[in-house]
Amino acid sequence: MTDAASHTSLTAQSDLVKRRNAAEKRFRAYGLTAIMIGLAMLVFLVVTIVGSGWNAFFQTRITVQVELVQDEIDAAEAGFLKTAAYRGIISANLREQLTALGLGTDVSDDDIEGLISRRAPAALRDFVRDNPDRIGDTVEFDFLAQSFIDGYFKNRVTRDIAERSRNVSVAQLDLIDQMRDAGLASKAFNLDFITGNDASESSPEAAGYGPAILGSLAMMIVVAVLAISIGVAASIFLEEFAPQNRLTDLIEVNISNLAAVPSIVFGILGLAVFINYLGPLSGTDWLKNNSAFVGGLVLSLMTLPTIIIATRASLKAVPQSIRDAALGVGASKMQTVFHHVLPLAAPGILTGSIIGLAQALGESAPLLLVGLVLAQGAAAPETVSDFFGGPNTAMPAQIYQWSTRADPAFYERAWGGIIILLIFLVTMNTLAVILRRRFERRW
Amino acid sequence: MNDMRIVERDLDSTDIKIAARDVQVYYGENHAIKDVSVDILHKTVTAFIGPSGCGKSTFLRCINRMNDTIDVARMEGKIEIDGTDIYDRTVDPVQLRAKVGMVFQKPNPFPKSIYDNVAYGPKIHGLSKSKAELDEIVEKALRRGAIWDEVKDRLDAPGTGLSGGQQQRLCIARAVATEPEVLLMDEPCSALDPIATAQVEELIDELRENYSVVIVTHSMQQAARVSQRTAFFHLGNLVEYGETGQIFTNPEDPRTESYITGRIG
Repeated sequence: MTDAASHTSLTAQSDLVKRRNAAEKRFRAYGLTAIMIGLAMLVFLVVTIVGSGWNAFFQTRITVQVELVQDEIDAAEAGFLKTAAYRGIISANLREQLTALGLGTDVSDDDIEGLISRRAPAALRDFVRDNPDRIGDTVEFDFLAQSFIDGYFKNRVTRDIAERSRNVSVAQLDLIDQMRDAGLASKAFNLDFITGNDASESSPEAAGYGPAILGSLAMMIVVAVLAISIGVAASIFLEEFAPQNRLTDLIEVNISNLAAVPSIVFGILGLAVFINYLGPLSGTDWLKNNSAFVGGLVLSLMTLPTIIIATRASLKAVPQSIRDAALGVGASKMQTVFHHVLPLAAPGILTGSIIGLAQALGESAPLLLVGLVLAQGAAAPETVSDFFGGPNTAMPAQIYQWSTRADPAFYERAWGGIIILLIFLVTMNTLAVILRRRFERRW
Repeated sequence: MNDMRIVERDLDSTDIKIAARDVQVYYGENHAIKDVSVDILHKTVTAFIGPSGCGKSTFLRCINRMNDTIDVARMEGKIEIDGTDIYDRTVDPVQLRAKVGMVFQKPNPFPKSIYDNVAYGPKIHGLSKSKAELDEIVEKALRRGAIWDEVKDRLDAPGTGLSGGQQQRLCIARAVATEPEVLLMDEPCSALDPIATAQVEELIDELRENYSVVIVTHSMQQAARVSQRTAFFHLGNLVEYGETGQIFTNPEDPRTESYITGRIG
């Protein structure tokens, strides 16, 4: 036996070694496969999102020279349906322009009118009201094209569809092709998609994420202030000051459990406690249905466990020897924590908090329950009180809302919203990584 | 150098600085220190020796109440410093620790500059009124820590960037900066090489002029080299306590003899 052992060859593998090596190879292959599948999914996801949402950032606009005639404007302002009259002005000017170019002579007035967005008359009226001195001039406007025309530019609407549709005619598509060649219609980047207000279901071309982004911002401010301060304070107390006993163990288990509670439960809680109970009791606007403040409170509840767990982990990672050193020179417990432990734990706390915030930013379920979905036409808030307390919406809720609307143009804009949201999330996570790298101190 | 040379040092003082009576320490159910009574003299280096787990570090940590930070530790008995019971309800452990400095086994400088490491203690205790005064305190402490010459040109450099021996001397400088009366050292040389150890030992001998130094050590040679009095701990009991020369040459207890001759521990 000892003879055999001492003369084993180093080059020939025994069965045991062969099996062991094969197992290791298999394990590596599994790991590699898992990562490949994950990467493929990620690529698929990004390609789908960008492919479906990219067009939402661009909008077709039609150039119209409008002659601002005092009489026509006076007549329009005197009418009962003022914007309808302005609509007439725009189509008349467009028709005139097209005729001059020899285009669209066989297209009906309704079809010409239908090329331009329903929002265009309001834009013209706003311009006239803001610039009364321009009356009498001929001003060039780039009006939004109606969403089906825009869809044609983005290959969403085809002639087949137009033949069967009541909303768009083949004649319109022929005309817009000619206008494109004449340089009167083109697709361009549309900042209003990011900053503009939501629009009615009939004019998706004008809808933007402005109020939703502001609403999300308001909620993030509430979450940042409440969840981070309460979360960090609670963790410091639990980790550094609280005695280790049954009660603190129980609290610890419960915090871990809270992190696993579905977010919609927090929504129900917010509805019951903040809106139905505390709202009438306090009588403030901030604790009402639709308010960003309530949304922020609900998201704070949801984010707290994440922040507490991350903070406690980073406090735990600070070596005991640093605490001993500080206590040893006669620092009080609080001085020890605030002068030495907290600065060392700060990068971890910051990272945890930002990841918590990012999680809150992408959450929609609890917001639906506290009413952070405006049916339509949400406008950006004007005062601080409106910002937190007024009717509001949030990015994920707005995306959800648009994805349920019938017009496929809204569907495209929902994908576009996902791109905006993802950019925010990626930015926040990158920030977390950079902060971590930057402030991490070695000891 | 004869490692076992036992210095024939006269005791500078016979004043009792720390008097411990019937000290018991429990870690939960575990009885770690049993009936320890010891008188530690002023301006004297006292060494605690004994095998691992014999309770010498635990007892040391009782003297500045560092065991308070361990939830499960419980202490009975009495420890008096200059006649004041340090476990009395009216004694603030923070003030106590300013008076009883401590140097730990592993060098543990704060991840801050060398200057801030030393200045931290004086700052929180309000020992300086101005920046100039603080500078003076820092310089004095670093000189006492025998590290001033090595770091005077880079006080802004991080303390964690020093070598192990320098870090430990920085920690000693930090401990003496608050002008303590007693300095507790928990195996201060266990992480150091022989040269750094020699420097720290020399330093301990100098510190004796101002402080009462209590040092826990695993090395009997070190105890013999630096201390005037030695206490031998075994299994939580204080077996023998006396002058270093007597403990090493003529121990009374057979367990002490077995330990110093290498048969137990």
